[in-house]
Amino acid sequence: MPVTFRASLLAAILGAALPAAAADDVVIGVMYPLTGSAASTGLELKNAAQLAADLINGTDKSLALPLVGGGGLPGLKGAKLRLIFVDHQGSPQVGATEAERLITQEKVAAIQGAYFSSVTQTASQTAERYGVPFLNADSSSVGLTQRGFKWFFRTTPHDELFVQNAFDFLRDLEKKKGIKVHRVAILAENTEFGTGAARLQEKYAKENGYEVVAKILYPPKGTQLTSEVQKLKAARPDVVFQSSYLADAILSMRTYKDLGFLPTALLANDAGFNDSEFLKTMGKDGNDVISREVWALDLAAQKPVIGKANDIYKARHGVNFNGNSARAFTGIFALADAINRAGSTKPEAIRAALKATNMGADQLIMPWGGIQFDENGQNKKGAGIIVQVQDGKYVTVWPMGPGAKDVVWPLPAWEGR
Amino acid sequence: MSRAVLGRTIALAALGLAALFPLVVTSATWQNTAILMLMVAQMGVAWNILGGYAGQVSLGHAAFFGTGAYVSTLLALRFGLTPWAGMFAGAGVAAALSLVIGWPCFRLKGHYFAMATIAVGEIVQAVVNGWDLLGGAVGLSLPLHPTGFWPMVFNRSKLPYHYIALGLLLFTLLVNWLVTRSHVGYYLRAIKDEPDAARSLGVSLTRYKLYAIALSSGLAAMGGTLYAQKELLIDPGSTLSTGLSIKMSLVAIMGGVGTLTGPVIGAVLLTAIEEASRMGFGGTGRGTDMVVYGLLIVLIAVYQPSGVLGWIKQRFPASAPAAPPAPASPVEGAAP
Repeated sequence: MPVTFRASLLAAILGAALPAAAADDVVIGVMYPLTGSAASTGLELKNAAQLAADLINGTDKSLALPLVGGGGLPGLKGAKLRLIFVDHQGSPQVGATEAERLITQEKVAAIQGAYFSSVTQTASQTAERYGVPFLNADSSSVGLTQRGFKWFFRTTPHDELFVQNAFDFLRDLEKKKGIKVHRVAILAENTEFGTGAARLQEKYAKENGYEVVAKILYPPKGTQLTSEVQKLKAARPDVVFQSSYLADAILSMRTYKDLGFLPTALLANDAGFNDSEFLKTMGKDGNDVISREVWALDLAAQKPVIGKANDIYKARHGVNFNGNSARAFTGIFALADAINRAGSTKPEAIRAALKATNMGADQLIMPWGGIQFDENGQNKKGAGIIVQVQDGKYVTVWPMGPGAKDVVWPLPAWEGR
Repeated sequence: MSRAVLGRTIALAALGLAALFPLVVTSATWQNTAILMLMVAQMGVAWNILGGYAGQVSLGHAAFFGTGAYVSTLLALRFGLTPWAGMFAGAGVAAALSLVIGWPCFRLKGHYFAMATIAVGEIVQAVVNGWDLLGGAVGLSLPLHPTGFWPMVFNRSKLPYHYIALGLLLFTLLVNWLVTRSHVGYYLRAIKDEPDAARSLGVSLTRYKLYAIALSSGLAAMGGTLYAQKELLIDPGSTLSTGLSIKMSLVAIMGGVGTLTGPVIGAVLLTAIEEASRMGFGGTGRGTDMVVYGLLIVLIAVYQPSGVLGWIKQRFPASAPAAPPAPASPVEGAAP
């Protein structure tokens, strides 16, 4: 008897130490840069992912997205989603270490992350070694889905598609508005993001018959861009393709104005140009810049669920969704959808469900055709949009059609803005 | 028990612990932490040959670490050369590079030398960032397959990486120990303490500093190869950054600069603080882990500037103050 008593006491203590529902929760590891230069972005991603989980776990059905308000996953008898957040500090080594900890210690059913392409690469390698699904919602490096991995799934479109979009946009301009572009210049910061984009832009420009009159790479931490801008000016491009982070995006715009450089149009590659700080700092000088995006609030006019989801996010965190947070939010929905259909937290079952994913456009807050993965784990139905700053707001100008605003072309002079 | 004997006993016990650890502890996270400790320790010991014994503080050692990583990876990707050979090729290239860099930089003294090495580190990083052969800013990645001994890629088991890291650390310690026993070691210490006196006695300062930097950077490069094989991705940000250079010097300084085992102690301590603060506070998104990490380093620097070994020496003073340098001791603690 004493033995049984002791055993039951032990069981009682152990039971009390763990939350009662813990065994039934579906645990998902979520890794983002929560410290370092991208910490503010990482925090937005974290908030968006948590909101997605809370909506699925909650009972409020007012938002018209799948699984919302079901009080958990119906396919697993109402099991709740529990997200464990980890900070990878932007380091590929820490990313691999933390992915391993999530898998072996926290026993996660799947991992979502990691924003930085380099960290996504090492962390997903770890997931591949252990055979745990890794969903990437926000890294755009092309090579990630060319590795032949079995356990890697990416919902966001990648850089090549974004560059393609920019050239589709130029083609549509010519077809629908008779605007013809001949000379293009490329200006990009010289780390992974900028060099990769510049390489693709050069390739597509040549294939589409444009003349590349300058390709200039610069160090993003520099304090001046005078000589780069002088070179640009001398090359007399119609359109400048630019890939910059925040500080250098602002610096380049100021230098353009100081040196009186005014291309017909500036086609930016997201990043610094879409940061909320960019327009705050630039004011009217930021107007009419064109940039690629994955998401814009004015899409809500066509798709009301976008506006509703944004209202909930804004009420909680005081800011609107942006391309990054909207994708992180969508990533959790894609995982939840697969786990719910799998009806199990076994990795193999989740992988099979992910492979069979077929979410429709109406089930997402993204301007995508849906989510369906190809054999490399890349979402086939992703799409980008192109926005332009008009009167201090980002508005969708491409794809052209209902809901899209008319593009302002060419750039108005710096004086008299 | 004299301190030399005590030191030897502790060192043997530590070695035994390191050798048995992954057999006893099966949690992948703890095994991984142990490997990180061994790898960081190896970097610190390599750095210490130049920064500790010769007193030439380098804050650009990541350049050599990265050279090792890039050379072996490039040889493996282009020619299918096993990293076991690539590791030594990388060490050779890094040593040669260090001589080219050391020749002009050793004309500078003290702080100026340290500043020059920061510049060198940044230059190497900038060059690699723009070098397409080396993958530019994206870096190079090694395939997950094939696995096994010759490609030095292992799937789930951590044991091979653990024992390679341990072997490399012991090799680095051995080289370090041999240097301190040889006349080169005495010359280096003379150069550190009294460069003018050493020169007046006919010691060629530049020549012996060049010996030190070549050895130090060659060994750091071998650590770089192991990093590449373990993580399978190298990019300038993670293998050539100034932050990594500072980490190498930090573990040596925290543990006890210019001592054989100081960097090992420093590495164990620093890695433990780093991992524990991240596991404990990393998910909050408020940077608490970095604050805790930084605070602990500041506390150690303020209260124990001579490093952990210095503290041990104060707490347990040697029985005879004029103890011989005891070069045979694996713990350098007995040296004055």
